[in-house]
Amino acid sequence: MTMGTILVVAAYSAYSVFWARFLLHGLVWWKAMKRLSTEPASPTTAKVWALTVSDVFLFTRLLMVNPALWVGEWAFHASFLLVLLRHLRYFLNPVPAWVWCIQTPGTIAGYVLPPALVYILVIRLFTRWEKYASPANMFLLCLVLVISSLGVLMHVLYKPDLVDVKLFAWGIVTLRPAAAPASLLFLLHFILVLVLIPFLPTHIFTAPLVMMEARKRKKALRLVMHEE
Amino acid sequence: MKNKRSFTEELSPRQVLEIDACTQCGECLKHCPIQDVTGNPTVSPPEKIRMFREFIRATDGLKARFFGPGKVDRKLLEDFVKAVYECTTCGACGQNCPVGIFTQRLWPTLRKEMVKRGLGPIGAQASVPNAVSRSGNPYDKPAADRYQPWFPEQVKVAERAEIAYYAGCTGAYEAQPMVRGDALVLGAIGEPFTMLPPEEEVCCGFPLFITGQHDLLADLVRRLVEGYRARGVKTLVCSCPCCVNIMSRDWPVFYGSDLPFKIRHITQLVAAAVKEGKLKYRKELHERVIYHDPCYLTRGVGVIEEPREVLRSIPGLTLLEFDRNGLNSRCCGAGGAARKVYHENAVAIGRLTIDEAVAKKADRLILSCPACYAKVNEAMVGHKNRIQITDIMELIGSMIEGEKS
Repeated sequence: MTMGTILVVAAYSAYSVFWARFLLHGLVWWKAMKRLSTEPASPTTAKVWALTVSDVFLFTRLLMVNPALWVGEWAFHASFLLVLLRHLRYFLNPVPAWVWCIQTPGTIAGYVLPPALVYILVIRLFTRWEKYASPANMFLLCLVLVISSLGVLMHVLYKPDLVDVKLFAWGIVTLRPAAAPASLLFLLHFILVLVLIPFLPTHIFTAPLVMMEARKRKKALRLVMHEE
Repeated sequence: MKNKRSFTEELSPRQVLEIDACTQCGECLKHCPIQDVTGNPTVSPPEKIRMFREFIRATDGLKARFFGPGKVDRKLLEDFVKAVYECTTCGACGQNCPVGIFTQRLWPTLRKEMVKRGLGPIGAQASVPNAVSRSGNPYDKPAADRYQPWFPEQVKVAERAEIAYYAGCTGAYEAQPMVRGDALVLGAIGEPFTMLPPEEEVCCGFPLFITGQHDLLADLVRRLVEGYRARGVKTLVCSCPCCVNIMSRDWPVFYGSDLPFKIRHITQLVAAAVKEGKLKYRKELHERVIYHDPCYLTRGVGVIEEPREVLRSIPGLTLLEFDRNGLNSRCCGAGGAARKVYHENAVAIGRLTIDEAVAKKADRLILSCPACYAKVNEAMVGHKNRIQITDIMELIGSMIEGEKS
């Protein structure tokens, strides 16, 4: 079995584990949804939608409680998203125009990502005012820091053959395993991404829903004991 | 310990999402009163959620799906029970949560799950159901002593009226100057009001709800609601934030339909009476007073402005604010029925309130919750800092005393 095949099998496994986790969480939510909620439903107004969008995309709630951390977290999440979208060019054929359009912002984001992560880690681990650092979160942040640093190194110094990378990635999508690119940095980068995928936190799906509930609840709070 | 029952059984659909949505960022620790006095992250909100996720994994995870429910580490369960019962359930963590988890409701639900498993409640909390069954109140005090020691003779109570006053167990037995103030002020406003006889005014259910012991709740609520309905009540007034919280949020659930009356905190009634000129002060008060917001009144039911309106209406008074006030108020230490079990935490938290009030050079600390009143008074015993502690209605009562009731 070639290295390419091994990596492709590993990629499918990591991907399957991620979806198995997601489906299991979905099953727990679905079971809970079957139970009748005893909580009064609050209306979802345009204002609630607008505030939720701001909470999800601008992390407004974090900004309110910790502006110093917000800078790093927003830079990290925004640049991570751009970098992910930029990488779609390896997995899509033909590459859509919008993916080409975000190549430059994606490249800039690639340079922002590692310092943003270092900033978060410094604040989390070395400042007096932070009282808690989740070991699981620290592991994920360090993992993404290594992955993103390898990405920058490949972009600046040790460029792998991009045709080989595209063929390899396209082989994963089309279930036709291709040879792995002959680049040690790429292999490390790819393997660490496979390690990351099963550990991706499911709050990326649930937090936006909870943020919306929080906005609805805030709006409804006054009505608990006051007239409209 | 093997568990066939899912750990999510007691959670609402929203709460299941909330358990998953916690990012473990730890922002909440900066607002947690237990952290302020213990500095122990093991009993922090993200740790409680991390542990509870482990439990859910044991009953609903991939391994459990294929091979049946797994074992839950006994030590982890014990740590969780301690953490969830040491919490004051003040909800400051949720108020400052970057995701917006409604922790003031989540922690009591997780306690209920522990009760269902025979792991909760702890300490003195376990005797509450028996006490309530036996004597109608969690303190196991005789009903004959519920009103008699403090109710002002000159205040008349109607047999039937559109307004009813519920004194509450903690006020009636542990914070009597407060409920005496309530009665004096209600009498001075001049609107007829009714009360249930002492043996019928049973526990509102909050101590049972907050400790996760729900068995008696439906019966207590039905008895109280039917009692007030029979007296033609349209507005039920109470000064205890915990009581008004369960009355407005949970009584309709346990009663099975909307209540036939609305619930109001006494400061709402008094603020309206002051505006309408129904309440006149006979004295001035040239003092700097600082008002402490009860967690279940602000984050629980959104009553924030009315106590301030009432205080500002007193001639001569200067109102000061704590650094954490309104929706961000800090717990006094008495919340979550933890004060009887984790007494030292409660006293230490209460002293933080006293210290800040003294540092701000307040002449008087104003409270509006019987549990706060009892605990902060207790916290001052043997403490280096001293301040006069007064309930808001005790203060208003003293301002109008001598008024014809």
